[in-house]
Amino acid sequence: MISPFLRASLALVWVQMRRRDFIALAGGAMTWPRVARAQQPTKVYRIFWVSTEFQPDPFLDGFREGLRERGYVEGKNVVFELHYAAGDPNALRQVISDLKGGNIDLAVSSGPATRAMMAVTDVPVLFALSGDPVELGIVKSIGQPGGNFTGSSFLSLELAGKRVELLKDIFPKLRTLAVISNTNHPGEQSEWRTTRQAAQALGMDPVYVPFFGAREIDKAVEVAGNAHADAMLVFPDAVTMVHRTKLAEFAIAQRLPSMFGWSEYCDAGGLLSYGANQRATYFWLATYADRILHGEKPANLPVERPTKFELAVNLKTARALGVERAISSILFRANKVIE
Amino acid sequence: MRSPFLEPNVRYPDRIAFPVARPRRSLFLKYFFTLFVAVVVPLFLGAISDAWFVYRDQRLQLNALLQAEAWSAADRIQTFIDGISDQIGWVVQFPWTEDEDDPHKIDAERLLQQVPAIVSITLVDQTGTERAFVSRLGLNRIGRGVNMAADRAVLGARASQVWYGPVLYRRDSEPYMVIAVAGNRAADGIAIADINLKLIWDVIATIKIGNTGRAFVIDDSGRLIAHPDISLVLRGDSGSTVFNRLKSTIAAANGSAVVTTSDAGNAVVAASVRAANVGWTVIAQQPVSEALASIRATLWRALALVLVGALLAAALAYWLAHRMSEPIRQLEDGVQRIGAGQFDHRVTISSGDELEQLANRFNEMAEELTVSKEKSERINRLKRFLAPQVAELVEQSDERMLEGQRREIVAIFGDLRNFTAFSARAAPDVIMAVLSEYYETVGAVVTRHEATLTGFGGDGVMVLVNAPVARANPALRGVRLAIDMQAAVQSLVVSWSSKGHAIGFGVGIAKGPAIVGTVGYEGRIDYTAVGSVVNLASRLCGTANDGQILLDPVVAEGVKDSIAIEPLGMRLIKGYDHPLQVSAVACSDLRQSHSQKRKAGLPVCGAADEVRRIDGHD
Repeated sequence: MISPFLRASLALVWVQMRRRDFIALAGGAMTWPRVARAQQPTKVYRIFWVSTEFQPDPFLDGFREGLRERGYVEGKNVVFELHYAAGDPNALRQVISDLKGGNIDLAVSSGPATRAMMAVTDVPVLFALSGDPVELGIVKSIGQPGGNFTGSSFLSLELAGKRVELLKDIFPKLRTLAVISNTNHPGEQSEWRTTRQAAQALGMDPVYVPFFGAREIDKAVEVAGNAHADAMLVFPDAVTMVHRTKLAEFAIAQRLPSMFGWSEYCDAGGLLSYGANQRATYFWLATYADRILHGEKPANLPVERPTKFELAVNLKTARALGVERAISSILFRANKVIE
Repeated sequence: MRSPFLEPNVRYPDRIAFPVARPRRSLFLKYFFTLFVAVVVPLFLGAISDAWFVYRDQRLQLNALLQAEAWSAADRIQTFIDGISDQIGWVVQFPWTEDEDDPHKIDAERLLQQVPAIVSITLVDQTGTERAFVSRLGLNRIGRGVNMAADRAVLGARASQVWYGPVLYRRDSEPYMVIAVAGNRAADGIAIADINLKLIWDVIATIKIGNTGRAFVIDDSGRLIAHPDISLVLRGDSGSTVFNRLKSTIAAANGSAVVTTSDAGNAVVAASVRAANVGWTVIAQQPVSEALASIRATLWRALALVLVGALLAAALAYWLAHRMSEPIRQLEDGVQRIGAGQFDHRVTISSGDELEQLANRFNEMAEELTVSKEKSERINRLKRFLAPQVAELVEQSDERMLEGQRREIVAIFGDLRNFTAFSARAAPDVIMAVLSEYYETVGAVVTRHEATLTGFGGDGVMVLVNAPVARANPALRGVRLAIDMQAAVQSLVVSWSSKGHAIGFGVGIAKGPAIVGTVGYEGRIDYTAVGSVVNLASRLCGTANDGQILLDPVVAEGVKDSIAIEPLGMRLIKGYDHPLQVSAVACSDLRQSHSQKRKAGLPVCGAADEVRRIDGHD
């Protein structure tokens, strides 16, 4: 009546008994782990934070929160080395060479900084990218990145058309759409192309307002102001993120309904935003950071794509623009309403 | 006590030549082994059977637990999928009319708002034409679109109300599935929803079996659909071979839990359940180290119990075996010592049982052996001057009988005539042969009459009657002894004379008080009598002729009624101031013994001239 299960499990029980309990019986197990612990003091992980944002950085806060959730205490078992090059990925070159030389366990880069990080090959890099990482060439595939890069992609490209559609849903009479875009951003051309196609399909006339880097943003605003647009669409990006208040205020001043990529823009006064929750994404990124610090290889960690997209509406701005009626038609779809 | 028995080599030389061989298997080992086995075997069997039953119970319990967890996980997934299907049902409640797309579109948008797992939804009217497409990502399409009447989802939903499509993977990473739901009436159309199955993670991640056990879901091709570690799902079909093997291994066990190797390479106990509506397999698994921890603990407990029991049993068996065998060994040693003549050896056993009793008996036996040996030694000593039966008698009655005391005795002296002359002429071996015959004959007579032979002295012999053992009518007894002795020696005299040895024999008897007792030193102790009666008997013997028995007046007076006595008149005896009336046993009483002598032509009853002649020899 001895079943295969029994035989297999008895064998396993025996193997396990032999493996650990004999050590325990011999009394070795009582002292061995203590010695091991004594020899291995708490490791302090060094995390390199590379960003083109500027402080205070809500994304860093999200990431820190995620690490705290996983039991990391800053200064005790984890230290951050923060490197900001606000709106200027090129300024990160020096930082990259520091990273190569230093004893760094993990690098985290957000947005455009990732492109500068491509030179890093021997340190695991976590990214949070709005574009397509496969297109950028930092991972082989979404499922199996295969290198030292992994992280999250915000699906900005796919959402680009959706943002145009949302504007059209709310303002059916919309004709001219000013599209403000930083050309110094990976995948910017794809995003513009998608946006243009969507706008044209919806019977709109998109006006492309490109600019290159932070220095040209004021010029871009000026161009947009002269475009006689009915609404304004701003691509989510480090530079526009940095200057989100300026852009939001400009839209209100011009009495333009504005559409952005992330809810942070709405917090700063933007009328609408549609996209993945950035902070939540960075919070989640901490779980990958934890796994990599515990020895897992980025090559085996699939690039995560957000499943939740939030529509944020700033009712204050809506009132300022006098578009409350139009806005109320989509309030049932809003995930975040700023009053 | 000095004794020849103290020298075992001399006494028992065979002790050394043939020592008793030690037994091959000692009693101690036998007892030890038996007692040990008697305790350990039941203990061992008990522990084994106990461990077996506990193991079986726990195995069944584990089986049931894993089955329950798998069922629970399958149930939750089913609920998750059913919930989505139900929600989709909301958008197929109103019939399609011409150009009334907007309310349907708003329904679809609200559905997306309500169910995060739905990525997009396509609404198809009763003709199978796409009327609305609403998505979270892509652009919406409103109005008449392509004809989807031949679409699998449309056909499936029409056939069975709810249709579940196969699991597909976007960019070979995220699992998606199509669910198509048809309205109750054909006019309500059909809703085809694209579901992101990543969200099942919320369901599956909450399932914990023990501390590290988990449940996950695979489709028929072995591809992972849901797993607590979502990255395994997103990694694509790289692990599907492993999961396929896992699935078929569990399926082969026909519903019960199996021990196998998990996707992570560790040993696990796993059970599976099929989620009926979607056709997925839910596998619940727990690492063997955790699942069988209690079984392992049970086995260790059983083993420890057996070990402790065995140690206790060994100690107990040792103690008992020692307790049993040690007294026996002592007894054996005692027997050997006693056998070797060490009679003072005693065995000390205080076990309080039959063995102690045996030891006491042994000691008693040794005591009695000692007494008996001493007694036999004394008897041997007594036998030197007492007839054996007298010696026994003395031994049995009272040894104090041999102590010095004054008593009335009959002393008998016998003496060979002409022995001095004979010994001067004859060869030594002839003399010794003559003496030997003489002693033998006299000794036999003394023994027969139970008298006391105090000793031989050359050709003379001294015999006592009534000492140390008192006898009735000692005088008569003494005379009869003398007659027998005379007759016996006379028959020797006949044979001696035929060989040319002219030897005769005379006897003197006297009765009177004397001091009797043992005298001597160390091994040479004799029993003797001291007193005038002894001297008198000796003098009478000296005056007796060959073949004559002379009596003093006391003896003559004592036997005159029984034996014919010839008075020989008053004679002056050396050492006595007055002459004594000396008598002789009449020849008639000696006839029998004298008949042979007559035949040989020797003088009988002692002629007076011969008496005188022989007198000179003393």
